[in-house]
Amino acid sequence: MSGVKKIVLLGLLISQALVLSIIESWIPIPMPVPGVKLGLANIITVTVIVFFGFREALTVMTIKCVLSSIFGGGGWMLFLFSFSGGLLSTVVMSGLYKAGRDKFSIIGISIAGAISHNIGQLLVAAFFMQDLAVAFFLPLLLVSGCIMGFFVGVISSFLINALKNTKLY
Amino acid sequence: MLKKGDLFIVLIVIIMIAVSFVGVSIFRGREDDGHKTALIIRDGKEIRRIDLDAVDEPIEITVDGDYNNTIIAEKGRIRFMEADCPDKVCVDTGWLYKTGDMAVCLPNKVMIKIEGKSQDIDIVTY
Repeated sequence: MSGVKKIVLLGLLISQALVLSIIESWIPIPMPVPGVKLGLANIITVTVIVFFGFREALTVMTIKCVLSSIFGGGGWMLFLFSFSGGLLSTVVMSGLYKAGRDKFSIIGISIAGAISHNIGQLLVAAFFMQDLAVAFFLPLLLVSGCIMGFFVGVISSFLINALKNTKLY
Repeated sequence: MLKKGDLFIVLIVIIMIAVSFVGVSIFRGREDDGHKTALIIRDGKEIRRIDLDAVDEPIEITVDGDYNNTIIAEKGRIRFMEADCPDKVCVDTGWLYKTGDMAVCLPNKVMIKIEGKSQDIDIVTY
């Protein structure tokens, strides 16, 4: 793939991730626990891991976090919060994908990614609040990560199959 | 669509969920002696301690910082009433009334939690 084509495609994917995370912030979630969210932008991270690789996924995730905290007005704390989760989940998902794409399906990888996202956020929250009591949120975060990771995984595998047919990547 | 290794992931996740549920419920149970004290913590430092059982008139507390939070304490319960942070997770959490309940405003690094242990002696038994 030529350099220009790659830049264009990654740029598109970043804007899609950004739109997904903005749409996601409009959807109210009945669980008032910090960190519980749909994780729609994870669809893009998974897609980039499959079609490009770890470094590209990390780039897309980082730029998305910077832009979404600028547009969303979250400030430093919310940036660090989403970046830490994104970092851990990107590392875990690329690791699993590289280790065995024949062993793990996109759904399994996405569940692992969602859960590590939540764990990463919780670690940063515990660090900044200087209180391990935030670990009380862990069970709920794990359950929600599992459910959302499953749905995001299903959507991602549809998307990845469709994109493979376009021969764009 | 699912593959063999997914079973492994699901198994690990189920174990993690079970362990964390058990851990949290043990931890909550240990701290509870029926007495409710609310702690307001900012940046890891306790800024206010309220004995929720002794509150008669609602108390309003304002916390300044990068953002502003308004906290209301009533008899036996406490909550974030207003916040000007972008996500408002703390306000959505609603009332805290059980030992171990917790509400967090991450953007402002403010946390309310209810502890079961009373700090000062208010009942003397002979």
